[in-house]
Amino acid sequence: MTDRVLDLPRRQPIVLGQQAGLVVILVLLGALFTSKSPGFLSSFNLFVLGRSLAIDIVIGFSQMVVLATGGMNLSVGSIGVCVVMMGGYLMQVVGLSVPIACALALVLGGALGWLNGFTIARSGVNSFIVTLASANLFSGAMLILTKATPLNALPRSVAAFGQMRIGGGWVSPMLAMAMAIGVALIIFYRYSVIGRQSLATGANQRAAEMSGVPVGRRVIAAHALSGVLAGVAGLLTVARVGAAMPAVGGQDWLLPSFLGPVLGGAALAGGFVSVGGTMLGAALVTTIRSGLLVMGIGNFWLDLFLGLFLLAAVLLQRYRGALSPRSRMPRV
Amino acid sequence: MRRILNAEWAGLLAAIVVGAIVLAVVSPNFLSEFNFYVLLRSVCVSIIVAFAQMVTLAVGQMNLSVGALGGMTAILFGGMMEVFGVPLWLAVPIAIGIGVLGGLVNGLLAARTGINGFIVTLATASAFTGVNLGLTKSVPFYRMPVALQDFGNGRIGALPFLLIAPLVVSPLLALFLFRLPIGRRLLAVGGNSQAAALSGISPGKAIVLAHCLSGLLAAIGAVLAVAQLGSAQPLIGSDWLLLSFAAPIIGGTALAGGYVSIIGAILAVLVIALIQNGLVLAKVDPYWVQFLLGALIVATISLNRWRARPIRLG
Amino acid sequence: MDLSIDHVTKDFPSVRALDDVTFRVRAGEIHALMGENGAGKSTLIKIVTGVYKPDSGRLLLDGQPVEFASPRDALAAAIGAVHQERNLIPRFSVGENIVLEHLPIRKGMVDYAEVHRQARAFLELLDRALDTRAEVATLSVAQMQLVELARALSLKAKLLLLDEPTASISGHEAAALFDVLRRLRAQGVAIVFVSHKLEEVLSLCDRVTVLRDGKIAAADEPTASVSRGRLVSLMIGRDERVADMGVRNPDTSQTVLELKAVSTSFGHRDVDLSLHKGEILGLYGLVGAGRTELARSILGYGRITAGEIRVNGQPAHIRSMNEALENYRIGYVSEDRKGEGLLLAYPVRDNIAITIWRRISGILGLITPGAEAKAAGPFVGRLAIRAPSIDAAVSTLSGGNQQKVSIAKWLAAQTDILIVDEPTVGIDVKTKVEIHELIAGIARDGVSVLLITSDMAEMVTLADRILVLHDFRIVGEVASDHRYEGTSAAVMSFIHAVEPATAGA
Repeated sequence: MTDRVLDLPRRQPIVLGQQAGLVVILVLLGALFTSKSPGFLSSFNLFVLGRSLAIDIVIGFSQMVVLATGGMNLSVGSIGVCVVMMGGYLMQVVGLSVPIACALALVLGGALGWLNGFTIARSGVNSFIVTLASANLFSGAMLILTKATPLNALPRSVAAFGQMRIGGGWVSPMLAMAMAIGVALIIFYRYSVIGRQSLATGANQRAAEMSGVPVGRRVIAAHALSGVLAGVAGLLTVARVGAAMPAVGGQDWLLPSFLGPVLGGAALAGGFVSVGGTMLGAALVTTIRSGLLVMGIGNFWLDLFLGLFLLAAVLLQRYRGALSPRSRMPRV
Repeated sequence: MRRILNAEWAGLLAAIVVGAIVLAVVSPNFLSEFNFYVLLRSVCVSIIVAFAQMVTLAVGQMNLSVGALGGMTAILFGGMMEVFGVPLWLAVPIAIGIGVLGGLVNGLLAARTGINGFIVTLATASAFTGVNLGLTKSVPFYRMPVALQDFGNGRIGALPFLLIAPLVVSPLLALFLFRLPIGRRLLAVGGNSQAAALSGISPGKAIVLAHCLSGLLAAIGAVLAVAQLGSAQPLIGSDWLLLSFAAPIIGGTALAGGYVSIIGAILAVLVIALIQNGLVLAKVDPYWVQFLLGALIVATISLNRWRARPIRLG
Repeated sequence: MDLSIDHVTKDFPSVRALDDVTFRVRAGEIHALMGENGAGKSTLIKIVTGVYKPDSGRLLLDGQPVEFASPRDALAAAIGAVHQERNLIPRFSVGENIVLEHLPIRKGMVDYAEVHRQARAFLELLDRALDTRAEVATLSVAQMQLVELARALSLKAKLLLLDEPTASISGHEAAALFDVLRRLRAQGVAIVFVSHKLEEVLSLCDRVTVLRDGKIAAADEPTASVSRGRLVSLMIGRDERVADMGVRNPDTSQTVLELKAVSTSFGHRDVDLSLHKGEILGLYGLVGAGRTELARSILGYGRITAGEIRVNGQPAHIRSMNEALENYRIGYVSEDRKGEGLLLAYPVRDNIAITIWRRISGILGLITPGAEAKAAGPFVGRLAIRAPSIDAAVSTLSGGNQQKVSIAKWLAAQTDILIVDEPTVGIDVKTKVEIHELIAGIARDGVSVLLITSDMAEMVTLADRILVLHDFRIVGEVASDHRYEGTSAAVMSFIHAVEPATAGA
């Protein structure tokens, strides 16, 4: 039997090149935008960017944890907005303290996610369809209950949190939070039993199942976690805007929720995620968005660039992969 | 008669009949000619949009850019007439050509590069939206040719002129998918692309064809939408995505590919329209629409699973 | 049409599937292609049908070299095949599947009346009536194979390749198929017949070519002048000898797994089974007998509709593999190594440790990097798994080593009961022996093994007792003396008692 010398896959099996590539692009873009507008790297601009980035990162995480198990969650935006309105309601109408209101709202997010996961695991129906339905159910229910009225009279501390800067610098606590969640997720997927089992579920659900992994429970957990993370993202937007708006989330989150993970190298089929890559991917999106504004190209053309970038990134990933021997496996 | 009862869409048909009766009882306005006109008008674009997604589902793919491509085509259609004075009879085929081109890009990327169609169309959706917004800066083109506006508003009794489109497209699509060898090959690839390949069918070509068709149908939908609205709005297509999946799936089209139901998709669109119409007539919160749409998907899937046959192992 | 395979070699990343293979199939001849699983037969068929391209060597049709860029080219060259795995369009009708390669067209549209007429005609050749309008997805496995055979016939191929065509059909249908093949032979068609059923080959085929480990062991031998024993020895490289696995003394007083009058949603009826501690209990049957389904029902993947299952004397209601492993210490080596037995893209280390992640985790459910290597490492040595490193992706290993990894995870889990399903399919002979020794070894250590295999020699080598399963019922039990002639005859007699003889003379 002839064994060739092959690339040994890394622990977190994403080719290192992918993330390095993203960093390089980020640096280049940063340099480009700064040369056009020196204010780009100003403390204030970075602060503003950092807040946006934090939200995009968490939205990306919310999708990533479901992609890890081989599914997808089309209801991230819907769960997000439900948590936003619930949180606002608890704070403004019921008068609960901000931390408690947030905690309870996140419980809602987790519960909605759990509902998705439970339905998927029990019925065996594709996560695409289930979350397509639940996206409509959750958004619809929210609209019916709130009659789409924003809640503007939130406790002062909410908006203040959004304005805070750590040590007076450019880092928002929101960004720090997003990073912390990232670190937790890295530990989760690399070292925890549940995290490893979740990834195995995504890599090959049947094989994981037949190796004793409680696949159903892991899928449910992934969706519940996704719901909580979507909720966190929602609450972060409340802090940034200073109000609970029913227009938040919804279908707007769909594209960003995939962009981050996919740019970062997550496999759509599951089994591989890159926490760092997701963060870098989100950073890229945020940078491009802001940079275009700075360059005077305007917000309107943003999506075109994002789309082209996504294509380029995936093509690159594909062709780099095509060079490895594994791609010459027999076509079955 | 038995064949109708046994059809997968029998449930939808029953829902429509029951729903119509209920609405007629609840609201006397339901049975008015004008209301029927409004109802029928609202389904014309939706049916075409449902078909646009259905043809990609048929081959086992997804087209997330259905709405974005529609939107981009719509504003290019309106723009070329208003800004460049292109006559209507020329603008329509050009617009459709743009749709086909967009679909071609999707298809080639999905088939040639091996990148998942989901990601490809996610990216192109973004790109098309970008072109849309970039060109219009969110400002619609308002000065559409009178002929187009007349077409969009005209009717015979309760039948809007717009209805011509689904009336013509549906049987053509049925002919294509069920009677033409090329359509059968497309469905074969969706059903089992490996088996199809072994039988000499090219999955790559089928995928490209499906995406081109999808683009074509999205463009037709876009032209209709412009006619219906009387102006080329950048927002056209922005709410197409969820509906484009919901209607075929509710109608019985397989998400995994290889099986479509044209009648089912049409009935699903009708059910959704009926719900919307009913909510307006009954002066219920329009926000119920989304909720009921989700409930409808759940109901359909539950029903299908209840009818499903168990599969034996080898 | 004449087919010449001329010094064909085909490599895949970690194995040479075909090595300088040369033989010739003549027009008007039924040519058997034999070899163990993994010998290269399916690869060869895929080359002839245009799915793969040879890395070196060439194909000649009627003396002319040909190159196929795709299956379409092969079809155009009048080559038809029925592959081992099913290749049907599930939601299409039987009729349309049968004539898929050449849909009858009238005025540009598919002529369905003609589709069904033609389909019925080809099915009739196989002496079988099916509703040609039925969706293929609703058919049984046997019916699906018939549809594929009908499709192959409809191709009017001049060269026909059949890969295990009688695997799932009844003896009666097989006899009809053979009549058709003889008729085709008379018309000058060249037929390549892949089968592991010696009786069929000897009675039906004119010549035989044997592959072993990708190489030619014998080429173009007339079947009239070759004996069963010689064929077997050609295939496995030695006489049909049963390896001596040493002495074992299973403890028959302790019943670790018991099935009493069990019926399942798959169709099993009234199954009685007792597995004793340290015993290797064999479950033998032809394809489609329901062995894997029985195993999966035990593990919770099929409904038990009657009877009861007991583990160590206690009633057990197992609902999933997770429950089987955690609560009942039962493991399962799947027959589908690549689809179910392994996470192909993951490293060896993960694949071995997956069953014990929970056990090796520390506080907060976290696994330290060293713990996994420490837990999985010893098994690489114990099973002699040949891999570049413990971090290498399992997909880069050879079939035999992959199977070892698949088994290793259950050894790591230290289960009391292990259900082993077709452990050595597609594996080279040397590794096969290693795996046999492994299984015998763990039984000696007290693990109770339920062995499912269609390899008679393997069964006789390992099993202490053999239950014979046919059509989802237990039809007999044989106490194995580990001697091939007697034990295999006893097993086959139970099968033949319920199954009419195949392959008319």
